[in-house]
Amino acid sequence: MYLNRVHRTFPKLKKLISRPQSQAALSEQNEYSETPEYPPIVDTSLQGRKLRERQTLHQKIKEINTVEEKQIALNMPKYYGWKCVMLNEDKVPYNAMPLVQYYTRSHFIPVDKLPQYYEEFSGSADAVVQEIKALIEEAILIENCGVERTFTTTVDKPENSQKEDAFAKCIVKQINRIITNNLTDKVEHALTSQIDYDPRHEAFWFVGGIDPSERLVNWRKQYEWLKDRLHEPVDRPVQYIGTPMLTIRNRQPLKPLVPYSDAENPEFRVPAVTHVPILTGYYESFRHGTNIPGYWPGDLDEFGLLSYHGRGHILDRKESFGPQDNLEALHCQAMKASFGWLLAQANYQGFTTFNDITYPLATQTVITNGQLWSLYAYQLNTIEMHHDKVDNPKSNICFGTKPLKLYDSIENGKVQGLNEDVLKMLVQFYLNAPEERDHEMKPYLGQEEQVVADIEDDNRRCWLEKRYKHLVANRPRHELLPETYLWEKIYKIKFNTRFFEAKRRPFELGINPFNRRLDEHLPPYIPKALRPYPRSRKTFETTYYPKV
Amino acid sequence: MRLSQVLNRQHIDFMFKKHWLVQGKRIPIDTGVEKHLKAKGIKVEDALEFIQGEPEKRERINIVGPYERPLPLDRNHPDYKEQPCYTLKSTNVLLEGIAQAQVLTKTIIAENTLPPNIEELAQVPAPSAIHENIKKAILSANVFDCEQKKLPKIKDPERPAYNFPRILGITDRRRNQILTNRLLQLVEKSSDSEATLSKYVLNDVESKTVFEKEDDLLQFQDISHILVTSNKPVKHDVEKNVKFTEIPDLYPVKHTVTLPPEHFYDETSKYPIRPSVSMRHPHTTWLHYNATEVGNIFETPVTQQQILGRSLTHAFTVASSYAKQLHGEDVKDLPEPIYINCIQTDGQKYHFGVLELNTLNVDGTEGTKNVWYCKNDVQLYGASRYFSGMPVLEHYNNKVYGYINALYNC
Repeated sequence: MYLNRVHRTFPKLKKLISRPQSQAALSEQNEYSETPEYPPIVDTSLQGRKLRERQTLHQKIKEINTVEEKQIALNMPKYYGWKCVMLNEDKVPYNAMPLVQYYTRSHFIPVDKLPQYYEEFSGSADAVVQEIKALIEEAILIENCGVERTFTTTVDKPENSQKEDAFAKCIVKQINRIITNNLTDKVEHALTSQIDYDPRHEAFWFVGGIDPSERLVNWRKQYEWLKDRLHEPVDRPVQYIGTPMLTIRNRQPLKPLVPYSDAENPEFRVPAVTHVPILTGYYESFRHGTNIPGYWPGDLDEFGLLSYHGRGHILDRKESFGPQDNLEALHCQAMKASFGWLLAQANYQGFTTFNDITYPLATQTVITNGQLWSLYAYQLNTIEMHHDKVDNPKSNICFGTKPLKLYDSIENGKVQGLNEDVLKMLVQFYLNAPEERDHEMKPYLGQEEQVVADIEDDNRRCWLEKRYKHLVANRPRHELLPETYLWEKIYKIKFNTRFFEAKRRPFELGINPFNRRLDEHLPPYIPKALRPYPRSRKTFETTYYPKV
Repeated sequence: MRLSQVLNRQHIDFMFKKHWLVQGKRIPIDTGVEKHLKAKGIKVEDALEFIQGEPEKRERINIVGPYERPLPLDRNHPDYKEQPCYTLKSTNVLLEGIAQAQVLTKTIIAENTLPPNIEELAQVPAPSAIHENIKKAILSANVFDCEQKKLPKIKDPERPAYNFPRILGITDRRRNQILTNRLLQLVEKSSDSEATLSKYVLNDVESKTVFEKEDDLLQFQDISHILVTSNKPVKHDVEKNVKFTEIPDLYPVKHTVTLPPEHFYDETSKYPIRPSVSMRHPHTTWLHYNATEVGNIFETPVTQQQILGRSLTHAFTVASSYAKQLHGEDVKDLPEPIYINCIQTDGQKYHFGVLELNTLNVDGTEGTKNVWYCKNDVQLYGASRYFSGMPVLEHYNNKVYGYINALYNC
């Protein structure tokens, strides 16, 4: 700038100043090679370009350093949130098992006793069962007829299922207390594990290969270039929400139940269920996708060992569904809960639905009402099942038992027929020790920065922390969602009766307001009095959205 | 074309505005029905003549509805009792705090003193692994738990009408629940199996005691957030030469002040565990102080003295309902004292107490009295929260665990 001005004033100066640092371009450098090096041939069709766009997005998400930023990045395309298929833990419609299996890629193996892997704990479990048998019987007795309790119920769920869950929770707390107290001296992980009551479990992922809705097909019909792609399958965002009664988690993960290579076993492939999810009975709602395994990023005990769930929702199902479907509903609940929890844990390790896990994770799930106990062991092998990875050869594996009776009945103040096998299986779950893995656990997270709390820049750290918590809270918006009013549909869209009015509404301008990105908003205004120095031109505060 | 026609058709507000005008000018149209009917020989009656006679009288129908409506809770209710019962619930506090509690329960206080066996046990140092786990528990209760519920409104006394953004976070109920349960789990894990096998842990059980004091009927209803019971009653050796705070004179305040009188009540006391259970003797009762749930009936802020008063009335409720189950409803002086340990906490501050229940005859200030040994305001940690985006735990006090452990193991 300065030099320029000088040059203009003294035109000959330019010639006088020598340029010691500049050199002539190397003319001898060989521009030719033996074999010709062509640039890669890229697919320039619309689909090809879109695919490359998506792949860049996935790569960008992979390169983000911290867990929280990755979660914000997943939600970046949608200001108003994704239209998610809601897989609630306690809502299982009729014949939902094929859909749940496909959406979680879970191969279900019905078993009568725990898989081979648990054999090694068999001996020690027997000894523990003999020690705690009497205590468990006493606890069941006290909870059933020794304590007067008043459960407060809410109106949003049926009363009998709430009561059953509340009772089951009391029994589970007692049994958990007896077993952990007994095992504290015997196994190391009993002392170091954390026990949570009613944690918040949420998980979010994309399932590809789902049929388009009729509405989408109709929309595609209006465009010439979509004529031959009318029924092309689409991605569906899926959100799982559940609340276990009690969970146990530890700093180290459980060992995998079967070798990781078994994940690609073609026998384990899950048949595709591509119909629109609403046909099964799963509805959709707008929300930001959240991955929460019961604690915020930064807690060191980040691998789940065991979770207990209630089965009160079975009482709310129609009688005409029959016992077989009720059994399948329990399997569905277990698969959803296990997959959801493990997926959320995997997200805290830096993997997302676009970047598959590099090692398997395992968890154990128990569904009970105090008397009936179903036990499940689950191994997570893959979490990548979006549009471009529909043919992912890996599948997850779930072993599960039928509901087994822990005791037959209570007569004359005594527990009749305590089933020691069930108790033994439960103790085996507790004895299954987590172990340190010899590979890198967080390959896609930064070296120094793994969670937002590690970030050094104060402003960026505070902003990201606040934004992340606000996003995952999914709190209701201050302003109403954009809407096309009914009168507009009649007088403006169906019949063009108001041609004389100025066109200002989004549908008149060809804008879909729901395609707004998360960062398309005005940042907070800085009042003049608060600006760093009086003539500062910085009118709005900085935002630190991840650049994806 | 007149503009109003278009407006009428398309502007919904305009249409409603003009609707009465349009409707007011309606002219009956001759539909030709009368002619048709006459042709078929059916008699046509004028509508105006038809309505001229007296309307037929109908009986009033008693509509039952989906369920029988409950009777209004007033004097005419069959369960209404003339004598009011002054009720203290766990969401209410006494106006005069610990002093009023002393009068109501006829208790003398040994300030800052716990029975010697507890003090001895409390000095035993705990392994560092336990302290690490407690720190984990504090952090997970205050920082790492994922509950996002509405917290109380923030008010600035300088400008009371200003609305601050509502913060979502961990409620005090959930924080206390997590922290106390974790602490108890840790105590149990580090105790001998003898101690844990002889105890039983219950969550959220309700005790109720009804008693008379100077011709007034009183009842205390209280929830033990954690109730540890044991297979034999807890015993303490108490020191004789302790300085006691005597029962104060509340004049001009009466001891039932701020206890709302109720006319619907049950006259029997209730201890939550049935006598058939072997592990039914109350050992330690944990009481949470949730600032959002507990308050004065006149909405003034709760004072420190009132919080301390809660501990005493709570311990008295559990102990006396147990005593009544043991010795009958009308027992006065107990054959041998009943001891109960009590821990009240708001997460940060811990108030430990041991109640020696000697009598249920709480009239006057003379004769046998109950004794309350207490050690108040022990702080577990200074601050624990997200401080500028980072989880923080400040000023952890490792002495508190010793007392909790001592109360469990004594």
